[in-house]
Amino acid sequence: MRSRATAPAWAVQAYGKWRKRRRAWLATGICVAVAALVCAPLLMIPGGSLMDSAEMRQILSPILGEEKGFAAWHLIPVYPTIGHFYRLLIASPAFYQLFWNTVGMTAAILLGQLIVGLPSAWAFAAFRFRGRDFLFGIYVVLMLLPFQVMLLPQYIVLQKLHLYNHPAAVILPAVFSTFPVFIMYRGFTQIDAAILEAARLDGAGELQIFSYIGLPLGKMGVQAAMVLSFLEYWNLVEQPMAFLEEQAAWPLSLYLPQITVSQAGFAFAVAVMALIPALFVFALGQDALEEGIAYIGVKM
Amino acid sequence: MFLLPGFSGVMIFYLLPFFEVVRRSFLKSGNGAFVGMDNYRAVFGNGAFALAVRNTFLYMAAGVPLLMGISLFLSLLLRNLLQRRKLVSALLLPMAVPAAVMVLTLQILIDRQGVINGVLTHVSGKITALPAFTAIDYLNTGWALAVVVCSFLWKNTGYMVILWLAGLAALPKEVEEAAQVDGANRWQSWHYIIRPGLSGSFFTIGMLSVLQIFKSYREVWMVAGSYPQEHIYFLQHLLQNWYLKLEFDRMAALTVIMSLVLLAVCLLLQKRLE
Repeated sequence: MRSRATAPAWAVQAYGKWRKRRRAWLATGICVAVAALVCAPLLMIPGGSLMDSAEMRQILSPILGEEKGFAAWHLIPVYPTIGHFYRLLIASPAFYQLFWNTVGMTAAILLGQLIVGLPSAWAFAAFRFRGRDFLFGIYVVLMLLPFQVMLLPQYIVLQKLHLYNHPAAVILPAVFSTFPVFIMYRGFTQIDAAILEAARLDGAGELQIFSYIGLPLGKMGVQAAMVLSFLEYWNLVEQPMAFLEEQAAWPLSLYLPQITVSQAGFAFAVAVMALIPALFVFALGQDALEEGIAYIGVKM
Repeated sequence: MFLLPGFSGVMIFYLLPFFEVVRRSFLKSGNGAFVGMDNYRAVFGNGAFALAVRNTFLYMAAGVPLLMGISLFLSLLLRNLLQRRKLVSALLLPMAVPAAVMVLTLQILIDRQGVINGVLTHVSGKITALPAFTAIDYLNTGWALAVVVCSFLWKNTGYMVILWLAGLAALPKEVEEAAQVDGANRWQSWHYIIRPGLSGSFFTIGMLSVLQIFKSYREVWMVAGSYPQEHIYFLQHLLQNWYLKLEFDRMAALTVIMSLVLLAVCLLLQKRLE
């Protein structure tokens, strides 16, 4: 007679599998909960941008100082309207100015970083020259310093060059930022040195090696640098605040908080317009972004 | 030479003006007279400086361990999951959200009469076992620091998770598998295998978190605008304020002090990065 205490083998196996799976489910559950918490505030934005002003006024009235009690929020507006987008995109041309300021600034910075940064990164990756390590050390320190430490130095130089209060005051220092150089450098160091050696032996010129081997093989680093830079400069706050006095030259990121809570619907519509390009780049460049961040921490 | 154009720009916009600031930190700003260490003394004797240093330390003491702990915990959970990629990108999403976009959302959520207090009051009203909840004025009390720490965590957790995952991926898998075959439980494999293997990552990520604290101007600005309440007044704000008040001599001295401290952090880090 079979003992009742020992379960059949298939049951033991199933139990083990079930435990493993339960563990994975638990881990997934925790991570999903955290991820949801992280993304939750963003869910307020689309609804807010489509919410009628009267409805907004009613649910936010405690914050506006008109009532006791607490503000509420409707994720899906009860009286949806595209009025804010109409006002933003068609009725008030001022928005275009700010939007194109941001686009222009970001584009100029990214382009400049490519032109300046690519050769620098290549120089650090492909050549051994005197003082290389020391110079590279300087680049790394500069990339890690917060902007406020460079605030006064940059102000002095911008004054001297008569660039203060000109968009170039934001663009030029950013173009020579050392962060993209570092990321692109990391991308280039992934290339096997033997390939470069072989190309040199076969008589390829340095420019040929750079454009036929370096660029195609190191393009992950370049993409990563561009994605990281875009997300950074689309979101500029400190630099234009310090160096641009005229509001007309400001980027969207600095203008948006000027809209008060009483105009929340309109502000949410602006937020949507500021968010769309950033999310677009984020979605497209996700692999590059993750790769780029990993470059920062991993030892060579 | 490939490096020349880039390096000349770095010289013009970063290095030369920085040395100029070092020089100016020993001069009086109006007439350029040499005053020795006077500017430095003025900085150390300044009340706002003491406040900013204290706050920055508190912020660091809360922010860095929390950030490292949470991101490490998440990456340990994440590393063997199938849906890892999607989850990591959800955690990274705050990097793509402009600070300006969050300003309004946060105002609605954390105002004294905002949504969060509303929800908490509602919940504590429903469950009688809980003590009655009185609305917290997050932005005008010591809670402001907690809010800033939360937004720091919100912004940086994804970034650090990627760094931890990269560190974890570099560990040899065989060792852990062998230990598991030999009957090591999860705690043992963490304690004897993963943790020692990650010691390099601990250091790198710790240093990067510290630097991230000094870089987090936008997080505070997002919560409290340009004029933060005294609990969240950090060294970054002091520099920004002296800049607006055109107090360049003291600002030069503070710039030098801060860059020396940060340079020390960077040099420690750099030994690892190279």
